[in-house]
Amino acid sequence: MHFDIRRGIWSPIVPAPQDAPFEALTAKTVAMMGDDYPSVVFDLQFKEGDTVRAGQTLCVDRHRPEICFVANAGGRVSQIKLGPRRRLEFLEIAVGGDDSVRFDTDVLRKLLLKSGAWTSFRTRPFGLIPDPIATPDAIFVTATKATPQAPDPLTVIAAETANFEGGAEALLQLTTGPVFICQRMGAALLVPYDRLEIATFSGPYPSGYAGPQVHRLMPVSRQRVVWEIGYQDVMAIGYLLATGQIKTSRVVSVSGATQTKVGTVRLGAKLADVVRDMDHLDADCLRSGSRLTGRKSHYLGRRDLQISTDEKEAFPRPFWHRILDALPAAPNGATLPMEAFERAFPFDILPTPLMRALAIGDVETAERLGCLELVEEDMAVLTQLCPSGCDYGHFLRHTLNLIHSERAG
Amino acid sequence: MIKGIPYRWDSHQVSVTTFAVLLLPLTTAAILRGPTMTLPIGVALGLGLMWSFLFSALRKSVFHWHSLISALIFVLLLPAATPVWQFVISLSFGLVFGDLIFGSRGRGFLNAAVVGLAFLLFSFPATPPDTALPQIAIAAALSGLILLALGLISWRVIAGFGICFAALVPISPVSANWQDLQNATVLLGLVFLICDPVAGASTHLGRWLYGALAAALVLLLGQTGVGIGSLSSVVFGALLASIFAPLLDQIAIYDNVRRRMKRQSYEP
Repeated sequence: MHFDIRRGIWSPIVPAPQDAPFEALTAKTVAMMGDDYPSVVFDLQFKEGDTVRAGQTLCVDRHRPEICFVANAGGRVSQIKLGPRRRLEFLEIAVGGDDSVRFDTDVLRKLLLKSGAWTSFRTRPFGLIPDPIATPDAIFVTATKATPQAPDPLTVIAAETANFEGGAEALLQLTTGPVFICQRMGAALLVPYDRLEIATFSGPYPSGYAGPQVHRLMPVSRQRVVWEIGYQDVMAIGYLLATGQIKTSRVVSVSGATQTKVGTVRLGAKLADVVRDMDHLDADCLRSGSRLTGRKSHYLGRRDLQISTDEKEAFPRPFWHRILDALPAAPNGATLPMEAFERAFPFDILPTPLMRALAIGDVETAERLGCLELVEEDMAVLTQLCPSGCDYGHFLRHTLNLIHSERAG
Repeated sequence: MIKGIPYRWDSHQVSVTTFAVLLLPLTTAAILRGPTMTLPIGVALGLGLMWSFLFSALRKSVFHWHSLISALIFVLLLPAATPVWQFVISLSFGLVFGDLIFGSRGRGFLNAAVVGLAFLLFSFPATPPDTALPQIAIAAALSGLILLALGLISWRVIAGFGICFAALVPISPVSANWQDLQNATVLLGLVFLICDPVAGASTHLGRWLYGALAAALVLLLGQTGVGIGSLSSVVFGALLASIFAPLLDQIAIYDNVRRRMKRQSYEP
């Protein structure tokens, strides 16, 4: 199956150079961030100063205690920061020691839950960690380059093909429906068999994200739930099944002002440590994710495969538009329904009515317009283009939480 | 279709760019009509500033520059011989009840200049007809092309308007022809009143329908003896079309929801 996604924003950024083996970029501290897992209440099992091993359970989901969040590195818990309403903001570990937990690989679900690999799945609708006993209608493996500077999935998988195959095979056991490997045009990442299918996608940003792909292959609804997972997380599951140990590193591209390099980075690594030998502005400007969608953060996000170190302009625009930069920035206000929204939003969902429904908190209309098919990252393009300055990802999360809690209660 | 990369505009940038583009027909009119334009432009700018300032001060909100643009569009379409007091009352009504009372541009559903002109034509029916000037028509067409290239107005509205106009002209009882589309009032109205994104529909299908509806109304209202392309047909056509725009959007939403429902039950 091939899908050509035309809507979106073509970025003029040149692709990153790609060649294995990847340089190891070490970090002295790693962290687990609460923001990576929306609407989870964490029950901590350690306090500051305790020593942990890689793979050891740091905390569990209070409402579903089978779901474990594990340490990405052995060392000492150096800081636990709680944010508003005493929710975990981040848990930081000072890396020290190679000691790692060995897991029993007999029962797949139990293994995934215990080893923290379960948290790499995300459901659609709602964008949450799936329930431990749930069975999805399909699983989507996102193996498309999200932006030109992201690491090339083909190169990364080629270095460890066996792990990717093992991980994909494990995914087949979790669902009775199809498992879609979503990739760019070119050589197939896997030979399709049984319920394992390959779907290719071409198009500009954000066609490399799971949202537009799920929307075309299997649009979700209240009745139909799919899970999505990144290709490197699939490789980590393969590694876990083969060795019984968790894979703590990911291949990540680091793009600075003048150079881009690809290397292996520990999950949740402190960004300032990773980029210390690159040219960058200062620690406050570091972004986890691409220039287009990345968020300002001190640590690498759970799903991010890119680090941006500069404030270069994210979206291309014509040169004369820069003259208007001389104007004072407009205050946040109402939106203007421009055609640009439709041109950039790669869903068969009407952007302006949806933006209005989300902004005024009209949950019913938002659901009718298709907000269940979206998660925060899909709204990034509208947030960027809208003159109002609203964060539609934030509004969407609020609406999704309302629908979800209403359904649960 | 106008191609290009979508990029972000903030509201100041939109206001300033629209103002710059509006200067094109405005200077043309000022040169052609001479010093008679000075007083209306001055009064309009003063009124725009005053109402905007008053609302921002009373509501303790930010100052919005777009009222000045609405005021200038109003002046541009205003018949030259309108008494100043009528003009002051109508423009004030338009700015306040068309725009500011909703909480500034983007929050209302009408164009302030349309509301002001409709008020003028409705309250003072003896408003003298204006003489059409072809140079202004050319300037209006040019500014429309610029706004279209910038992506600030929708080509779908213009296409819908053009196609519907062309389709209805042959069956129009009052002798109308394609030349009417080259009339200055029709072109200015199309570019600055009908194509206003705030007053128009906000979905692709809605935009096509909205443009077509506006053309049909302009033609229909032109049947009443005042002539196609007269100010009243354009203004009331634009007013009625923007009142119906949310309904047209609902049609588009209904169609979209139905299509997605169908897809959600489909198995690949």
